[in-house]
Amino acid sequence: MRRYLSALVMSVAVGMSLCAVAQTAFAADDYTFDLVHSSVSFKARHLDISWIHGRFNEVSGKFSLDRVDATKSTFELSIKADSVDTGNKARDEHLRQPDYFDAKQFPTLDFKSTSVKAIKGGYEVTGDFTMHGVTKKVTISLEGGKEIEFKGTKRVGFSTNLALKRSDFGFDKTQIGPIGDEALIFIDFEGTRK
Amino acid sequence: MPDPVLYTQAMTVAAVVSALCVLATGWTRSPATAERINLACIAGLGLGLIAGYRVIHVRCAWPPINGLDRYLTIVLPLIFSIELVAYWPRLPPWGVWCLRIALAVTSSRILLHGSIYLGGPRSVWTTAATYQLLLLSSLTLAVVWWFMTSLSRRSPGISILVALSLSTQTAAITVMLAGYVTGGAAALPLTAALIGVSLAASLLRAPALSEGAVGIGVMGLFGLLFVGRFFGGLSTAQALTIFVAPLLCWVSEIPLIRTRQPWQRAVLRLGLVAVPLIVILVLSKRSFDRDTRPLLGVVRTQVEVINS
Repeated sequence: MRRYLSALVMSVAVGMSLCAVAQTAFAADDYTFDLVHSSVSFKARHLDISWIHGRFNEVSGKFSLDRVDATKSTFELSIKADSVDTGNKARDEHLRQPDYFDAKQFPTLDFKSTSVKAIKGGYEVTGDFTMHGVTKKVTISLEGGKEIEFKGTKRVGFSTNLALKRSDFGFDKTQIGPIGDEALIFIDFEGTRK
Repeated sequence: MPDPVLYTQAMTVAAVVSALCVLATGWTRSPATAERINLACIAGLGLGLIAGYRVIHVRCAWPPINGLDRYLTIVLPLIFSIELVAYWPRLPPWGVWCLRIALAVTSSRILLHGSIYLGGPRSVWTTAATYQLLLLSSLTLAVVWWFMTSLSRRSPGISILVALSLSTQTAAITVMLAGYVTGGAAALPLTAALIGVSLAASLLRAPALSEGAVGIGVMGLFGLLFVGRFFGGLSTAQALTIFVAPLLCWVSEIPLIRTRQPWQRAVLRLGLVAVPLIVILVLSKRSFDRDTRPLLGVVRTQVEVINS
């Protein structure tokens, strides 16, 4: 009887240890944005004859990658509207005004994933994108996801791009003006973890 | 993009609708009393604004999501309601002023709601700074409101509403030049409606000018400048100058000038109010030209570049 009892206790202990090890091995990896190696840029038509390029200089975010079950992965991105930079001070100031980003009322553009699925070469991420006080579901294809270790820090990088219509996000249609309604957004980011 | 033709149409419609509303009180068989004309002025301003905003397609979201939405859907309806309630016979004058002060105190807070200026993790101000701003802006609004209303009682005349209209027109142009086109455009129907009711009231030889119309003019001007200052690119100096400029109408109450003909005092009032407004307009235009020159693709000579 005593032998059975000790065997049972031992089995439970071993089982619990295995579970803990497995959990550690399969738990999602949390990454924080490496701002130095990330960028959010955009381009929009000017007078429908050429493109204006710009970027947001202040971006933050985090993501969690579950290599076993991609659906448990999450992505969050926050862009400071005030940090818009098109290489011209007057234009940047104009873009911060209520006719465009309304940066005093809506200081950030946010993306938060609601579902993630693995696709070839990356992930397909669907989430809520909030801009100018309007939230809409968008789906993006993130290319990348390969983890490398560089000087003791593990890094993962992704790239994506998407097209958005400003008028879909509550921008005044009468104020679309010389800059086109549709903007193409290019997001490249790296996440790091120890 | 600003559309001058559309703005002219909106202003014309606002002026005509508001004027017709006031003139309608004179078409009835019984003589138009001061109270009836004053009520018609308030109604005329309201209908003129609605008509003007419809012409320029001012977007008015509910629930409001930005400062201009809150101005159009909360602040303006509140001031119209208060000025209409003021004609309720059972409401004493101090009761009316309590309502006006309550609006003066709360309007700044309403307009800033949800923005980076108010408390919370996104706030750019400390709580103390926020309270200071709210207090100072409420105080400025209440003082200007009281002085303009007192003047309309002491020495009535359409010049008071016209002075407010001049300030509102300057606010519209300055806010637009500062880069906030929609905010500036929202001021244009108010400008025209104020002129419309003033002219119509003078045609009816109204014995006294509506306190309510003055209140709507002051509150309307304040709201637009406040939104232009805190959400657009208007500077504090520009906003304050435009807002307090109508107080120069009080110069006509100096003893030596007070004895002059009413039309002479009206011309003096408007002339004095126009001076700081013209200075603001000239400076704003210069600043606009300087800032937008690169955007419009104006090629500068090498000498100009070095001098700048």
